[in-house]
Amino acid sequence: MSIVGQRKTKEEVKDALKDIASEMHNKMEKGVPPSMTLPVRSKTNIGFDNKLGVYKYGKKKSTRDATSLGSARQLLRSLHVTEFIEQMIDSGKSSTLREMYYISEAWGHGKFGSQNESNNLAEDLEIVTKCLREDFKLRPEEDGARIIGNVTFEERNRKGDWMRINCRDDVGDSGYGVPYNVEAEKLTLIEEDVDFIMAIETGGMFDRLVENGFDEEARCALIHLKGQPARSTRRIMKRMSQEWNKPIIVFADCDPWSFRIYASIAYGAIKTAHISEYLATKGAQYLGITADDILAYDLPSDELTKQDLSALDSELTDPRFNTGYWRDQINLMKEIGKKAEQQSLAKYGLDFVTDTYLPEKLADIGLGY
Amino acid sequence: MVDARDISGKQKQIAVSEFFEKNKHFLGFDSLQRSLITAVKEAVDNSLDACEEARILPNIVVEINRLKGEDIELISQDNGPGIPRDAIENVFGKFLLGSRFHAIRQTRGQQGIGITGVVMYAQLTTGAKTRVISKIANDSSAVFVELGLDTRKNRAIKSKERREVWIDENTGEEVRHGLKISTIMKAKYQRGKQSVYQYLRMTSIVNPHATISLIVRGKDGEIIEEGKWIRTSERLPRVVEEIKPHPHGIQLGTLQRMLRESEQRKMTSFLRHNFSGVSVRAAKEVLSTSAIEDDRMPKRINSEDAKKLIASFQRVKLLPPPTDCLSPIDDLLIKKGLSKAIDSRFASTVTRLPTVSQGNPFQIEVGLVFGGDISADGPIEVLRFANRVPLMYQQGGCALTKAIESIDWKRYGLDHPGGKGLPKGAAAVLIHLASTNVQFTSEAKEAVADNEEVFDEIRKGLLEVGRGLKNHLKKKDQRKKAKEKFELVNVILPEIAKKTSKILGREEPDLAPVITQIMNAVFCEEELGWDKERKLATCSIKIFNYTARARAYTILLKWPENENITIVENSNGGRKEARGIWAWRLDTLNPGTSTTISVSLSGLSKGDWTDTDIFFRGNGDIIGATKIDEKILEEIRKSEALAAIRNEISESESQETNEIVSEGELVKKEETNNSDGINIFADFEEGSE
Repeated sequence: MSIVGQRKTKEEVKDALKDIASEMHNKMEKGVPPSMTLPVRSKTNIGFDNKLGVYKYGKKKSTRDATSLGSARQLLRSLHVTEFIEQMIDSGKSSTLREMYYISEAWGHGKFGSQNESNNLAEDLEIVTKCLREDFKLRPEEDGARIIGNVTFEERNRKGDWMRINCRDDVGDSGYGVPYNVEAEKLTLIEEDVDFIMAIETGGMFDRLVENGFDEEARCALIHLKGQPARSTRRIMKRMSQEWNKPIIVFADCDPWSFRIYASIAYGAIKTAHISEYLATKGAQYLGITADDILAYDLPSDELTKQDLSALDSELTDPRFNTGYWRDQINLMKEIGKKAEQQSLAKYGLDFVTDTYLPEKLADIGLGY
Repeated sequence: MVDARDISGKQKQIAVSEFFEKNKHFLGFDSLQRSLITAVKEAVDNSLDACEEARILPNIVVEINRLKGEDIELISQDNGPGIPRDAIENVFGKFLLGSRFHAIRQTRGQQGIGITGVVMYAQLTTGAKTRVISKIANDSSAVFVELGLDTRKNRAIKSKERREVWIDENTGEEVRHGLKISTIMKAKYQRGKQSVYQYLRMTSIVNPHATISLIVRGKDGEIIEEGKWIRTSERLPRVVEEIKPHPHGIQLGTLQRMLRESEQRKMTSFLRHNFSGVSVRAAKEVLSTSAIEDDRMPKRINSEDAKKLIASFQRVKLLPPPTDCLSPIDDLLIKKGLSKAIDSRFASTVTRLPTVSQGNPFQIEVGLVFGGDISADGPIEVLRFANRVPLMYQQGGCALTKAIESIDWKRYGLDHPGGKGLPKGAAAVLIHLASTNVQFTSEAKEAVADNEEVFDEIRKGLLEVGRGLKNHLKKKDQRKKAKEKFELVNVILPEIAKKTSKILGREEPDLAPVITQIMNAVFCEEELGWDKERKLATCSIKIFNYTARARAYTILLKWPENENITIVENSNGGRKEARGIWAWRLDTLNPGTSTTISVSLSGLSKGDWTDTDIFFRGNGDIIGATKIDEKILEEIRKSEALAAIRNEISESESQETNEIVSEGELVKKEETNNSDGINIFADFEEGSE
């Protein structure tokens, strides 16, 4: 079932937004404070959706009504954003979230206090209208990932022409830059000659694998996640996994924040649980670095900080990590009190990662070469 | 005051310089930094005491000039009465110690060894003479003289004495009366918590009637530090009455000396004339309890009998000592003093009623300032005073500090980690202990010794100002919330309605019912102001009914009622509910309407009335006002009645001192003195602690 097939028309998007205004207006006509109903967006309200295989928001709802100043401002902002999106749809323009934040300067009492507020509100509107950010003509300025490997895409360029790009032969050392919109109207997956796709957390490690020619040696596509992956990065991984039926392997640091990167790829992020089925790749596998690896390979490591420890504790109550594997890893990590970076593998030389570590770890999960 | 020579009369004579050397730690001359503060303190205390006695509003100028090496020139000038020529030798040349015991009253001088110490210190460290210029109003010219000390004979040596017209260097005018001393000593000027600057700043807080200025110059004449504290009150502290010691505070040695020196022939008259609080009846009772006949000559009473007397003093019911020997600063003046030294958002001050501990009358005053320019990091600033003299050292070991530490400040809105030590936050706390006999932990006289009654009184005062702070913070919070609600319904909600209407192309809805539902409360906002032209303190109270029902309330205002302060304008009439509480019964307030009450008070100055409480009587809450506790009103009325009785008694007592008081009256009087009087208003809710 393709999400793209569910995409809404301009009129449907406008109507969905108007429904928000109607709810408020109707309430006021009845003499009660205007309001907007949203799911609770925290880890206490995400649950595994068996049908979709990802984590989605549960049934807990919160009502944002105009009985407090903060909420009333949020409602007013929602209306300003609604109006702004309508204008963009009508004029065929789009804007970045940051641009919208600055445009809100002119909205008087409806102006945003911080960029974070405007980002969150855009997500709120997605949730309530069941539209996508792309439908709203809003885009992030965060750039997507880089890809190197023998896979071929067609991307529609600014002139409107489709351009064929092979991510091994047609790109430089920095790879193919993933655009913010990777939907069918912008990007088509053409062909591939790889066995799996490896997502890498840090740029340093990505560059190491590229320099060592790991993509060809292990017949894989390499994706640099750039920390917490952008929506378009997660979305293109999902499409590659779905349309090409290739396994996704995550190679990250061994620390609590890297675990969250993995969880957002494999199960869905808490902030975007409303579109998990569209962004998350169920079956993505965590390769390393694990707490076991720190011991097994005797890797140079750092002490866990107070924040690390509380992040680990918080993960123990996060339903996404409620599996035997993750509980063991998290508890082991707390026990040894250590964390390690991907690049700590360089302790044994620059080629250790491609000659020894990755072949061994991939063999463990049946991807030996 | 008692001369050091007299005190040591029967002991071996020691050279005064030796005495000074041995004891300089508790005389305040133990370090270069402290010596300078002590010298300034002796000079300024003398000036303040002299001005007070002569009923002159003091202008005091202190100059400190750094010379070569560690030499410092200290100049202190006042506009006091001056010292007559013949007395100069005594004032500057004799060592004075301790306080008198035959007559007791509250003086600053209790705490130092006097200006002689400064003359001595200067002479010992630099060999410099102390130059004195003194002008009394009646003389046509001033006395110019240089003084040194004959340390073996303990007296001053005068030199270069001359008479001349004294022209003030700064104003170029002839000085009509005043005193100027200048000397050179080894000392060190340092800034900070223990500095001359801080000493004078604190002094100015508790002496709002004084104008004090300080100039400190470096070696090249450049100004290093400067301060000027201008008087905020034209009112001199009242002249304190001298009183006789009270039997409850007397020690055996003192009693024996009093007996020895007594001129009386009968024991009853000895007791009645040398002590306060002893009526004829009480004197007789003391004697019969001690089994001492009335016709014994006091001079002949042996130590056995003296001990019996001391024991009986504790058993026989005595009148408390009079308390008019104390000179409190007055809470309104403390507030002014604090606000001239510290910029703050909130100030609350309390003057407790005088009370007695072991025969010594004492009185506690407490002030708290909060917010504004005060640093919020670290512990609060503690300003300790004994008899209007700042205490700058040994803060941790002082009973005044311990009293602050004993309060659970978290309940009053200050950060108090672990409930131990000093609280933290943007606040300063002032404590003034006025007493005829301040007990210190040591001769250094920098920390007040533990005393349960004093401690309890301070705590009561602190709780009262603490409650003021709590109310202030609560009110601030309520005000913020109310402001937000007003913005919500008056600004944001109409914009939401406008936007939805525009987006949907529908008509704007009527918002009145929505507003009522959002607010669903009655709000009260008071504003205190100052009418500059007519010199009136103003208060307007606005009440909004944002509920769906009509409301009826009585609004009560707390105002600083006294003989001089009256309500001169009052928009809504109303009536006096109790002392300091005015009440208005409002007409029915319909949903969505508001009403305003305005009053103006005369007899106050700008900045006197910056904080008040609004109470209400009626059903449902009012945000911004407190429901009146009828019991509290009752207590206020009761304490008013008590105060009236107290006044009557003190009047009748002043007419017939030491006359026999009937048993009934005596009991009434005791009650009066034990009551907390007007402060009951504040102590009331504390009962739960």
